[in-house]
Amino acid sequence: MAKSRAAISPTVALAAVGLSIVVAVPFLAIVLQAIFPTLGRGSFAAPFSAFAGALGDAALIGMAGNTLLLGFCVVVLSAVVSVPLAIARALFRVPGAAIWDVMFLIPFMIPPYIAVLGWIMTLQPRGYLFQLAGFDLGSFLFSLPGIVFVMTLNTFPVVYFAVSRTVETVGSRYADVARLFGATPARAFWRVTLPLSTPGLAASLLLVFAMAIEEYGTPAALGRRAGFDVLVTAIDLRVSDWPIDLPGAAILSLILVILSFCAFLLQRWVLNRRSYEATTGKPQDTSKRELGVWTFPVLALFALVAFVATILPLLAILATALSRTISGGLAWSNLSFRHFAAILGDTTGALKALSTSLSLGVGAALITGLLGALSAYAVVKSRARGRGVLDVLTILPNSLPGIVVAVGLILAWNQPWLPITPYNTSLILLLAYCCILLPQPVRYATAAFHQIGDNLEAAARVSGASSLTAFRRILLPLIAPSLLAAMLLVFAVATRELVASVVIAPVGVSTISTYIWRQFEQGSVGLGMAMAFVTILITTALPLIVLSLMGRRGSLL
Amino acid sequence: MLKTTLRASVATVSLLAATSAFADVTVYTAGPAGLIEQLAAGFTEETGIAIEFFQATTGNIMARIEAEAANPVVDVLISASWDTATDFAERGWLAPYTSPNAATVPDFLQTDTAVAQGVAALAIAWNPTSGTPRPTEWSDLTAPEFQGLVNLPDPAQSGSAFELVAALMATSGIELFDSLAANGAIVAGANAEALNPVLQGAKAAVFGAVDYIALNNMAAGESIEVIFPESGTVIAPRPMMILNWSDNQTDAQAFIDYVLSDAGQAIVAAQNLMPARADVAADRALIADLTILPIDAEAVYGARAETLDAFAGAFAQ
Repeated sequence: MAKSRAAISPTVALAAVGLSIVVAVPFLAIVLQAIFPTLGRGSFAAPFSAFAGALGDAALIGMAGNTLLLGFCVVVLSAVVSVPLAIARALFRVPGAAIWDVMFLIPFMIPPYIAVLGWIMTLQPRGYLFQLAGFDLGSFLFSLPGIVFVMTLNTFPVVYFAVSRTVETVGSRYADVARLFGATPARAFWRVTLPLSTPGLAASLLLVFAMAIEEYGTPAALGRRAGFDVLVTAIDLRVSDWPIDLPGAAILSLILVILSFCAFLLQRWVLNRRSYEATTGKPQDTSKRELGVWTFPVLALFALVAFVATILPLLAILATALSRTISGGLAWSNLSFRHFAAILGDTTGALKALSTSLSLGVGAALITGLLGALSAYAVVKSRARGRGVLDVLTILPNSLPGIVVAVGLILAWNQPWLPITPYNTSLILLLAYCCILLPQPVRYATAAFHQIGDNLEAAARVSGASSLTAFRRILLPLIAPSLLAAMLLVFAVATRELVASVVIAPVGVSTISTYIWRQFEQGSVGLGMAMAFVTILITTALPLIVLSLMGRRGSLL
Repeated sequence: MLKTTLRASVATVSLLAATSAFADVTVYTAGPAGLIEQLAAGFTEETGIAIEFFQATTGNIMARIEAEAANPVVDVLISASWDTATDFAERGWLAPYTSPNAATVPDFLQTDTAVAQGVAALAIAWNPTSGTPRPTEWSDLTAPEFQGLVNLPDPAQSGSAFELVAALMATSGIELFDSLAANGAIVAGANAEALNPVLQGAKAAVFGAVDYIALNNMAAGESIEVIFPESGTVIAPRPMMILNWSDNQTDAQAFIDYVLSDAGQAIVAAQNLMPARADVAADRALIADLTILPIDAEAVYGARAETLDAFAGAFAQ
């Protein structure tokens, strides 16, 4: 092994090829588009001529500042909401733990554009809250705190699941050692357990930051009224309004990428300062402690978050889906199942859209899971040269707006000289979803690898296992819980991805999100909400069924 | 487990690849989805030629065509904004065609390279249960009863909303928009986004709603009324164009003919759009019933940035 420095390990090679196809190709197309304004017409004329116009926009500084502010606020609030919950879940016996996990999974299954519409219909003047309680919170919703509130409800599960998984892995063993040496429980937690859980916390907060600066629906729906413009709304304006400005959109996207890259460097600096190895192969005492007198307050906290993040949005969606008309409001006479009947009767192509999106979601989860594990291994565990480049590739799509990824994919794969192309087949949607969602499994798997001691793999190799066998038999099972959680999230997001799908969907193909969006665009909000509700049920139930069939539910949730 | 995973992904991939098929005519169209679905079905039934379509907002379609320009696939484009037809004709991307069925389409709804599929108009969409007096004029929405209860679609996001703003600025000046803004009216995204709060009652009226969407909502039982001010409004004809790179010119022309046929125009009328042909009836107000504000397209679009700035300035305070 020591001699084979020139030979590239197959694991690393696979990761490199996969990342090139899924990430490097569309990203390169976007960079070229930024440099060559008429790239779409196959011309390389007038390089860099679009930079002055795009970067000279006087509003740019303000929008970039707003973007950072929004990302920062969402990260802080997500951490405040989810870290206490995650720690309680990981170290203590919380009654109904599995149920709370499902409850916190659902907000991630609610598409952001649906969630924000649900909140608008609940909190705006004469909305559902007003109809039930006689007051409204419209002025709160259409403001920066309102945007941060809605976006946090959508992103906090990322932190919750990552932190509870990592803290669980760290377990209480190290803290127990600290206590033997005389530390108080609080001191043992702050000085031992929490620092050892940094990889999961840092990785998930980075994801939340990138999701917050990349998310389009919520700032567009709520921020415009508050005069709160962010970069991604400006990018969307360039791609979807006359006159179309692809180079401008590409340049602004690169600014977003730079912002998220800085956050990534910060995270890497945090992780590389010391070792976080907690899985050493020694037997682990996984028993959890009793909450004692804290049982009720902790349960109350779980219930409050679950009610606001899950129950309320679901009720708003269901109320709209079951209303004959929106103007009829919450009245028994207005109750109607016609929207659900239209979906189940499939008079509108809904079932086909459902099956398309579900198979794409499964495909994206499998591919990103495999590629994510390989890439994370190459970056964390291998000593291959150029692994820094691979790491950068895995972070690039993190903050690329979906619509720009779509444009990049068209530019890359619709070249006339390509003998065969996935463009205008459903495969292009799969590529788009994999590109947009790859950072999730990579971040989760990276965090998990950071916790695994090197001697485990070394032991396998010494005993004669090949590098692939060691990866498959030793490392993959150890990171499986984290990786499966990430693949679940990929499945959920891929089945409802809207922004890229709207632009890149092949002719004649509908996905769940484009179906819902078409209903909204034509004023059929009830039908769109009924479809959204069915989707949330399926995307929540399907992974749970699969996991319980595999008998792994205990380890994952 | 790895094997199962591999097998599953192979199956998924082949399943996905199987869903793509090569179409005879590829149509890119603005909404509504129901309209193109019925037109495609009717056309295929009549001619046996298959239609594949991609439906999105006009803006998203433009972005896709722009990105595809090196290797375009679209044969027929149907936009919700006449401006697209002018723009594409200037770029030299359109093939000239005059359908025999276009004889009764008024001259202002066709050029050498484009012809209207149907026509929408902008109107006041008002919720009768909002407790406000029924408005009949644009300026009625500046009354104190409408304080904080009026939505405007964003002219930067909607071509027809832009034309309305430009036309009203020419006739009534910026003052109309100053008083709207002073009265607490807000600019609320694209067309559907502006209408939804009115349905629920958060707002009382949309200033410049796309009429067919509101009419369809009314037909579905929503509490909404569509009012065309007598002082005049603007129309948004939906141009159909054949792209000159299409190697399917004959079939594309046949599709245009079908949309302009009696059957095709009946489908258009059933969506509560005004038919393009003057001799086809519809169960709604037609162009002849409306006062149309004059628009000098060249001058209006030449000053687009200035108009949008003035509009944004009025609502920035």
